[in-house]
This record gives sequence, C-alpha cells and structure tokens, in this order.
Amino acid sequence: MTEEAQTRPLPPNGAPVAAAAGPTFMDRVDRVLEGLWHFLSSMRVAMVIMLAIAALGVVGSLIIQAPPGVLVDAQAKAGWLDEIRPKYGNWTGFLDTLQLFQIFNSLVFRILVATLTISLIACSIHRIPGVWRTTTKPRVDVGPQFFEHAPQHEAIVVRHTPAETLAIVEGVMRGRHYRLLTTDDGAIHIYGDRFRWAAWAGLIAHISIVVILLGAIVGGMFGYRDAQFTIAEGQTLPVAAEPGLSVQLIDFTDKYDTVTGSPIDYASQIVVFKDGAEIDRHTVRVNDPYRYGDTTFYQAFFGAAAVMTVTDASGKELYSGGVPLAWRTNADNRPVGSLTVPGTGNVIWLVGTLGGGDDTIKPGQIQAELYTAGEASQIGTEVIDQGKATTMGDLTITFERETQFTGLNVARDPGVLFVWLGSLLLFGGFAIRFMIRHKRVWGRIVARPNGGAVLGMATLATKDVSQATDFENLVTDIRAALQTPAQS
Amino acid sequence: MEKLSGYMFIAAMLSTGLATIFYLMYAVSGLRAARMQTAGMTMTTGSVSITSGPRTAAIGRYATMLGWLAVFTLLAALVARTVATGHGPFANMYEFSMAFAFGILLAYMLFERRYHQRILALIALPVALAMMLYANTIPPDIAPLVPALQNNLLLTVHVAVAIVAYGSFAIAFAAAALYLVQLFIAWTMNRDEPGGWGLPRLDVLDDIGYRAVIVGFPFLTATIILGAVWADTAWGSYWSWDPKETASLVTWFIYGAYLHARVMRGWRGKRAAVLLVIGFAATLFTYFGNLFFGGLHSYSGLG
Repeated sequence: MTEEAQTRPLPPNGAPVAAAAGPTFMDRVDRVLEGLWHFLSSMRVAMVIMLAIAALGVVGSLIIQAPPGVLVDAQAKAGWLDEIRPKYGNWTGFLDTLQLFQIFNSLVFRILVATLTISLIACSIHRIPGVWRTTTKPRVDVGPQFFEHAPQHEAIVVRHTPAETLAIVEGVMRGRHYRLLTTDDGAIHIYGDRFRWAAWAGLIAHISIVVILLGAIVGGMFGYRDAQFTIAEGQTLPVAAEPGLSVQLIDFTDKYDTVTGSPIDYASQIVVFKDGAEIDRHTVRVNDPYRYGDTTFYQAFFGAAAVMTVTDASGKELYSGGVPLAWRTNADNRPVGSLTVPGTGNVIWLVGTLGGGDDTIKPGQIQAELYTAGEASQIGTEVIDQGKATTMGDLTITFERETQFTGLNVARDPGVLFVWLGSLLLFGGFAIRFMIRHKRVWGRIVARPNGGAVLGMATLATKDVSQATDFENLVTDIRAALQTPAQS
Repeated sequence: MEKLSGYMFIAAMLSTGLATIFYLMYAVSGLRAARMQTAGMTMTTGSVSITSGPRTAAIGRYATMLGWLAVFTLLAALVARTVATGHGPFANMYEFSMAFAFGILLAYMLFERRYHQRILALIALPVALAMMLYANTIPPDIAPLVPALQNNLLLTVHVAVAIVAYGSFAIAFAAAALYLVQLFIAWTMNRDEPGGWGLPRLDVLDDIGYRAVIVGFPFLTATIILGAVWADTAWGSYWSWDPKETASLVTWFIYGAYLHARVMRGWRGKRAAVLLVIGFAATLFTYFGNLFFGGLHSYSGLG
C-alpha cells in the first residue's frame, strides 16, 4: 500500500530536497507526512479498506453476533457464550478472543472504519480545489497541443472568417444549452460546459458518509435507549428518559392467522400521563410507534404477566397491578419477573408456570419468593394458587390472575437527523454523479493565411465504445451549421 | 387473480426458457458465421462484435420477441399477484424471487435495446430462469403479512428499488462473466488476443458492466437507506447489524470498490470483471441470506 506513495511522489515544492548536506530531520518529517497524506488520499488504499470491511462483514453475517450489551456484562456474556457453545464447540473461546462475536465493535473494524473515514476526508479535501476551479474558473485557453492529444478531438477547415465561425459555433452550443466563455489573443479560445455543478455531486456523496457516521456517533453519545421497557396490563410505569412522563398499558393484543398460525398483529393500547394528568392515548404497533417529543415508543416484544395484590399486616393495600414475567430462569427457563413492594422495599420474585405438564408450578399457580429490602436475604418461598391470599412474612400476597405485558423499545436518538440528512445527500449525490456528467468542450479558432479558418474542438471525455458521444453529436451539428452559407 | 398470476408465471417461465434456447441458437449461428468468415478471409480480430447473416438476425429477432414476452407475462403475473394480495409482490421468497427474475429480465432487455449484445442473454436469462424455477418450488399461498411487514409504502418501495439494483447487478455479472470467459478461452488456447467467435468486444463488455453498476449502485444505496428508515419505524433502530443488513452493506462496499477500481490504472478490465463477479455473489448472498442466517429479515415464508 505504501508502494503508491513511493511510485507517485508529490512534485517537489521548488525546494531542493537532495541538498549536499543530506536530508535534515525536518526533511524526513516532511517526507513521512507527505507519504502519509498520499497513503490517506490514495484511492487504491480506500479501495483495499473497502474490500477489507466487506470481508469482515461477510464474517459478521456468518458468525452469530452477540446482542448489544451482552458482552459488556461478564455474567450475561458467560450465559450467552454457553448458549452458542453447542454450535461452535471448542472454537467458542477462540472466536471470542478474536472478537468475532462482536465484529462491528471490534478493534479491527473500528480501525478500518476510522481509516476509511480519514481517507474519505483526505480524498475530498484533495479534490475540492480542483473541482472548485473547474466549476468557477475553468481554463479557456488550453493550448494548441490539447486539440491533438485530447481523448476526442476534431479539426475542421472552414471558409468563414474566425469571427463568423465563432458566431456559428456559439449558436450551435447555446442551442445545446452550453455555457460559453471565450477569449481572443489572435486565436479565439472557446470553453463550453453544461451541468457544471454536477462536478460537486460525487464529492457531496462522499462527504455525506461522514455526516452519517457523525450521526451514529452523536446517537451513541447523546442518545437514550431502553429496549426492556416492560409494562403489564393495568400497570403504570415512569419513563426514565422523560421526567414526569409515565405510561400505562390498557391492553395488549396479539392476533394470529387462523390458517397458517403466523402473527398478524401486535398492539399495545397505552395511555400517556404527564405529571399525573392524562395527555394522550395511542395504540402502539410494530409499524406505528408512539412519539412524545424526541422520545419514541416502539412495539418490541410481549409475554405473560401476573396481576398481584400485596397488603401489609394491617390490611392496607401496598400494590395492586400487573408484574411482567419478562425474563427466564437460567435453571429451567420459566418466565420470571420481580416486584419491589412500595413502602416496604421488599422484593418479590415471581416465577410462572411452564404450562400443562409442569408439576412444580401448575397452570393457575405462581411461585412467589419474598426477599428483604435490597434482596439481602430471603424471607420465604411459596407456590400460591390463583385468587388465594397467602401470607409471607408481614405481607399478604394474592395472585389475582394471569395477564400479558408488552415490551416496548423506548429510544431517543438525536443523531438520527444527521443520518437521514446524510442518507439524502448520499443518494442524491450518487444519483446525480452517475446520471449527469459535467460536460466540457474546448474550441480553438485560428485564421488561415489564405482566408477562412481552422476550428479545433476537443473534450476530455473518452470515446464511447458503443454509441456516438455528445461530443461527436455536437461536432456533427457544428459541421452541419458551418456548411450552410454564411450570412453576410 | 391468484390463479391468473400463477398461469402468467408459468407462461413467463416458458417464454424465458424458449427465449434462452433462441438466444443460444442465435449465438451458435453467429459463431458459425464468424468461423466461416475467419476461414474465408482474414478477419480483423475483435473489431466486429457480431457478423450475422440474415438467418442469424432472424433468430435474434425471435429471441428478442420472446424475451419481451417473458417480461410482459411476468409483469402481468406480478400485477395479478399484487391485486390478489393487496400489497406489492415482495412479501415472501415466492413473490420476491418472481420480482427478482423480472428485474433481471427487464434490465437485460433494456440493455439489449441499447447495446445490441444478445450474447449477454446466455448468462442473464438462465439466471432469471433459475430464479423463477426456484420460486416455483415455493408454495405460492397467500398468507397475511406479519406485523413487521405491515407497511405497504415501505414494503413496495424498499423492495422495488432492491429489484432494480439486483437486476442491474445481474447484467453487470453477465458482462463480467463473458469478459472472463473470453480471457479464459484465449488463455487455454494460448492466444494472445482474446475475442472473436462473434462474442462482444472486451471493451464493450467492460462498458456494459460499468453502465449496469452505475444504475444499480444508487438503487442499492436507496435500498439500504429505505431499509434503515423502515427499521427505524418498525424496530426503533435504523441499523442493527442484522445479517441481511450487513450483507447488503458488504455488497455496497464491493460495488463501491469496483467503482473506484475502474478509474484506477491497472484495474480496468480483468480485475474489475472479477470484482463484478464477487459483487454478484454478494448480491445473491444478500438475497438468499435470510434463509440460512436468520435475523430480523427471516420472514421468508419458508419457516
């Protein structure tokens, strides 16, 4: 990759590099920096990095990737690794060491993306002056050599005077919507272009990728996400992201197709309270989230919940409502949830049934485990029947009935605006870049000694292998216009 | 309507199959003509793309007609399917494969119209036919949409845009494959200069590949962006490194690398063609990915 930096050095800046005294330290620094700049602004390097990221992506889509957050938590990580161990066997530990279960968070991936981003910025900076010049201060006089060596060039001998020839060429090119610039220094120089702003499209498309990445970084730094916001039917929960806001779940419905059994609807009817007062109602569905300010509530998952009533020794009701059984026990995969009793701070873990055939906790039963505040020690464990008040410690616990909970994904992402803006520029930039080309044509009219003139036309665009190019069509038109007798 | 769609689909398969045969006959006939010419006179190698007699031309015209017939019957099948289901024909692998085949066929026919290189059909049409035969193995039952897919606008636009991208990439693949085949033949026969046999010129194939990618690439970009918009609406996160998302990004990077490669010295031609083949492999990987790597896109209807 450094090969390019060596084979294509910058032109010397006028300073004699190979001075008799040999390279000084600063010369060396200069050379290293030059090399680095070349490395970063080299398209070859960018291409190699893109292919490397693609290769990592292939690995990342073939190897199971850990859900976000799992690998940060040592216990969750061990559990997750155990889950996938049957698939990867003895390789599990090795793959984990190589960060292959979190490729898109891995060091290698980050380095590649960072290098590509820097390379992208370097390339763009490298190109801006040139693009600026081509659009604002194009060279009109390109010298006679250009008309012999350009990829496409034509010479036409005309009998008109140079001024007449210019008028005809201008007429044809204006008719084709070219912008024209001309100078006259004995020879007439013509520059014509179309769609000059299209030259910026590719540049904008490249920079927009940086905008998208910026959005991702902003989202990661200032965003908020609670993917485990679970509310049971009848339960009201405060939203951490929005002080004073709380959400109550009225009802959760899941519907299935009677023939295929595939799901057709998940709907959570919610009521939204601000400082205790109802402000809104909405049914959250998979493609119909609820938005409050910058915070959005998405339908994510659902499951069984238990409606519980907890009273103290005096009979005062401490809690009455649903408790989502949103987790699973490690030992036997039973649905499990917890409730912190308001007032006392006691924690009750509720373990649900596995359904028919479960002899430990039968359908219609729930296992309650009562702990002291802070879960320091267990007070008691009991399997209780539905509707039957059971006393444990100082508390009377009743399992009223089974119900459902909904799992919402609560998210606030201030970076998403950058992402959409960048995406828009990305698509627009590429579409324009590939659909519209900045067309540039140069002309040169020289008077012939015996009257008449020679018109040279040239462009940098290469010949098309399968059809006439715009340049060829333009020249054909100009030839035709020159054939008609000059108006005198 | 569902039945009509099925019949039209069968008609489309038949016409694609027939068209493939005609294109093959066209190629053989052109090859023979080219051979005779080489035998009879000194042929300027690689300068004529096809030397066709009247017979060859007639076969070619029939092939083209059959190709368009396939396009229109498949379009009819897709429209009828849309009417029957009430959503764009992109909700499961049956519908999506039909649509993919349609994308390839349409892209091919449009490129043929513009570049007159019928030989490309020898690769493009079998790919389309394979897609249809694959679709044919999937039960075409209409099931209601799962909640994640219940967004008619995004379902239609996201996948329709993907079809255009995939179709274009199939054409780029066909051009690249023909390019590499010619290099391979030249290499095995120890000839310095590839070309001849009535096959398209290498620079023409290189150009077609590029033209196809500059159509497909913005559309793939749009596919990914629309997918992100949809993911943000449905799941609350515009990017989750879901395997299908990742695979589409991989594809995007490969074609991005191709577009850069093509303007670099030494990368035009053979290496660019190799990248196009890899790119199409990635496209197919993205397309079939959800079947074997699960993830959020696993609602193929194949359980």
